[in-house]
Amino acid sequence: MEEQEIINIWKSQEAKIEQSLELNKKLLGEILNQKAQSALQSLAMFKTRGIIAAVIYLIILGFALSAAFINYSSAANYFIVSIGAIFLINIKALYDYIKHLIWIKNIDYDGSVTEIQSKLVKLKLSIFAHSRIIVLQLPFWSTFYLSGKWFPQTTGWGYIIFQTAFTALFTYVAFWLYKNQSIENADKKWFKVLIAGSGGKSLVKAMELYKELEGYKEG
Amino acid sequence: MQTNKDSNKFLEMLDDHKGIIYKIVNSYCRDEEDRKDLAQEIIIQLWKSFDRYDSRFKYSTWIYRIALNVSISFYRKEKRRSEISYPLPENLFSVHANDDAEEKSYLTKLLTEFISELKELDRALIILYLDEKSHKEISEILGLTETNVGTKIGRIKKLLKQKFLQINKE
Repeated sequence: MEEQEIINIWKSQEAKIEQSLELNKKLLGEILNQKAQSALQSLAMFKTRGIIAAVIYLIILGFALSAAFINYSSAANYFIVSIGAIFLINIKALYDYIKHLIWIKNIDYDGSVTEIQSKLVKLKLSIFAHSRIIVLQLPFWSTFYLSGKWFPQTTGWGYIIFQTAFTALFTYVAFWLYKNQSIENADKKWFKVLIAGSGGKSLVKAMELYKELEGYKEG
Repeated sequence: MQTNKDSNKFLEMLDDHKGIIYKIVNSYCRDEEDRKDLAQEIIIQLWKSFDRYDSRFKYSTWIYRIALNVSISFYRKEKRRSEISYPLPENLFSVHANDDAEEKSYLTKLLTEFISELKELDRALIILYLDEKSHKEISEILGLTETNVGTKIGRIKKLLKQKFLQINKE
């Protein structure tokens, strides 16, 4: 088939559209005046709910942390370090969340396709980075309840070994997840399950597009 | 805030260029429900950008940019879409039955199918090429150099020809 023939096939579709396509103006008017705004508000709400939840979580952690500082005793050292680390990791997660919100709000589709799609891919990758860092808080959830008063001096070897193994396991899992949650594993089932909650379900497709965009830059 | 007058102007402009949206939607979505959602999403984004429309560009350039950007990112929002979108009570577009020759319709279907098998950006590029946009205009819409556009189009055309050739052989 020749080039012009292909164009003609495409054009025949156009002629058909011109003749037969009708725009439902009444319905469109309705969408423009009401639903466009509501849809945007829903999107903002969707992200804002996440931020509110994260802020509440951080406030609780912050209260616990300040109470430990105010009534400081060496017994609270494990608690302060663990909750402090969890607090910082979650602050970073919140920062990322807000960054996503700003990016989403700022996306103006009126730009060149490669430019806009690059921005969207960046957003996807940031969601991914966010889901990665959150796993690093895992080991600290295995140490916050320890007290300097009784650990390790008054506990038996059995408990020390158990606690060390427990924290080591959490640390291993956290680093394994952090290391393996990479783009290379994006098509694996466990990866998809893990990042689903962070809105990263479509990361694989975003990466495909990323590769395509890179290919386009190279020419 | 956009006024009623603006919305009339917008609807008029949309009516003049409805074919662009229709063709892009058909090339990016196979499922009928998805097509309706995508068309709605494109129109919402066009409406959002309407007051910032840069008159240095043609309306068609502006529509292609937004419609292609929304379409390419559309599938990646699948989950969120169900949360933000509203089901359409009726169709935005209605297509009357036509009396096209069966052969023509078959070839159109084939071409649409071949296009939908292409990668996202290649698909955008070939739609613009088939709509007989100049290399300059394609480069403005896609954000590529004119040389790059020429090279890519050459590759995709070759691919399409091969696909048709294969069908003929079968």
